[in-house]
Amino acid sequence: MSETEQIRAKAKELLDSKKVDCVIGYERATDGKNARPMFVYNAKDTDRLIFDQTCRHNLVRYLLNRKDKVTGIVVKPCDSRAINLLINEHQIARDKVVIIGVVCPGLVKTDWNKTGDKLRDACQICQQRTPVVYDVLIGEPKKVEPPADAYPDVTGMEGKSVEEKRAFWEKEFSRCIRCYACRQACPGCYCSECFVDRLDPLWVGIRIAPAENEMWNTMRAFHLGGRCIGCNACEMVCPVNIPLSLLNRKLEKEVMTLFKFQAGLDPEAPQPLAAFLKDEKLGVAE
Amino acid sequence: MSKFISKKDLNSWLNKVREKRRLIAPTKVEDLVLFKEISKVEDIVSDYVNTDLSPKEFFFPPTEVLFSIAKKDGGVELTPARVEKETVIFGMRPCDAKGIIALDKPFLEEPTDPLYREHRDKTILVGVACLKACPECFCSSMGGGPDDPAGFDIMLTEVKDGYLVQVLTDKGKALMPDSMLSESKEAKPKAAEVAKVPAEGVNVRLRQNFDDPYWGRLADRCIHCNMCSYVCPTCYCFDIRDYPNKGKSDRVRSWESCQSAGFTKIAGGHDPRANKGIRMRQRFAHKLLYFPEQFGVSHCIGCGRCVKSCPVNIDIREIISDVQKLGAKGE
Repeated sequence: MSETEQIRAKAKELLDSKKVDCVIGYERATDGKNARPMFVYNAKDTDRLIFDQTCRHNLVRYLLNRKDKVTGIVVKPCDSRAINLLINEHQIARDKVVIIGVVCPGLVKTDWNKTGDKLRDACQICQQRTPVVYDVLIGEPKKVEPPADAYPDVTGMEGKSVEEKRAFWEKEFSRCIRCYACRQACPGCYCSECFVDRLDPLWVGIRIAPAENEMWNTMRAFHLGGRCIGCNACEMVCPVNIPLSLLNRKLEKEVMTLFKFQAGLDPEAPQPLAAFLKDEKLGVAE
Repeated sequence: MSKFISKKDLNSWLNKVREKRRLIAPTKVEDLVLFKEISKVEDIVSDYVNTDLSPKEFFFPPTEVLFSIAKKDGGVELTPARVEKETVIFGMRPCDAKGIIALDKPFLEEPTDPLYREHRDKTILVGVACLKACPECFCSSMGGGPDDPAGFDIMLTEVKDGYLVQVLTDKGKALMPDSMLSESKEAKPKAAEVAKVPAEGVNVRLRQNFDDPYWGRLADRCIHCNMCSYVCPTCYCFDIRDYPNKGKSDRVRSWESCQSAGFTKIAGGHDPRANKGIRMRQRFAHKLLYFPEQFGVSHCIGCGRCVKSCPVNIDIREIISDVQKLGAKGE
């Protein structure tokens, strides 16, 4: 059975047995080429579910809207790390989710009305091909040899001078329209009131202008330091193609270097930037 | 017989236009095609169907100062912002001109927004007809068309080696006098074939299905970013805030969106549109029902930008069809 057929069968079983009242998966988008999230409430709709290399959304974000109901959900390996992140941060309960994990072949580059066969940059260097948490696994578990440099993109940026980096980000952020799609697509961005929405006191101004754009994008990146699970949903939804993964992955690399920690691998492990350990030194320089 | 301008003459005309005015035209920015101020005419691209962001930003910028406030002689002095330079927008598509016509309604009807008025008065619109359509385009179902000159001062249609020219207003005539143009026997090429959407009567169906659970189900998928509103050529909601500026205060307005949580939050914390389904319904009912009822024109002009950009494929074409299928059962 193909992945799609297995997902349909599992979703049907979950809905028929009333174990869940909704399965969140993917269906074909209206361009006939891309995928889009689908909420299935009725077993007869399960034959619309699909899975292929265009299924780019991290559906875990939607679990935050269904905290009190048991939900079936289709996750790729990176998405599965978001489940661990949200359990770790007490946002969702493990017994409220039935996880249909899919071994990931990597996503292809897609655009509206266009799909290719070239893997996305993030997927080319991804080391997580099997979900880290699941109730049912679709596909054969796969191990990937870690590459010599897991952060070639970040290394490239680190080679630039401070002036070059500043010029680079000024140019990138100048295009930002502050639509907040990055935040809304992110499973880790769930503050009940985001710092940019806070009007009194006003943390960040309402202007869609260079200073505020820079403040918004860098502050968001810092809030995800040690928490970003690397699904790249933010970058994929950006309407003006700002390379947000460079910021997130730089912070991921820093946290990895300093604390040997990657978010979302373990639902129990304390987060380095949110917990003090007994023997922890207070200063990095000590 | 039609008026004609060669590509070479058009380029030298654009160069001349640039000397005293701000010239805005579609140009490549990374992988995007955007309207930007042009410093070299060669940077203007012509092999695009539509720009990724709409030209509304030149009339209703993402952020602009409305006026500054200063203390003077024991009182308060207000200095309104002015539009200094004349602007020429070149390469606009007919759907976007329709978008400006729609924007004019809320901004120019009494009480008029003086700054918008000034942007409009000081801008000349040079359109280019669409000979190709995007798969997400549906202008001809929303009261427009790929060769509709409405709203333009000058409209061009590409033919071999140049453009057929329609000069439509006095402003257009002053910028491109007849003396610049030659006569051509070239037949007007066929405009693009644009996909159809069943929009006829959708306003009635929207009202009939105001409380249908459809909206809540649709909102399941929506992530409630502001992208659709910000890529839209006609969405016009904004927020206002005062900013200190060298001893004075600037009153600033910036884009806002009915899709963001808290957009309708009022004093005391109540939010009449607190849930996602209601916010989603607001967007489509405003486009297809309230605005047409208030101003007599559609608030969706069928450019397809929201269709293309939406991260989760909330597709207004599909919504129009779905609402039609819901039928009259709500009544």
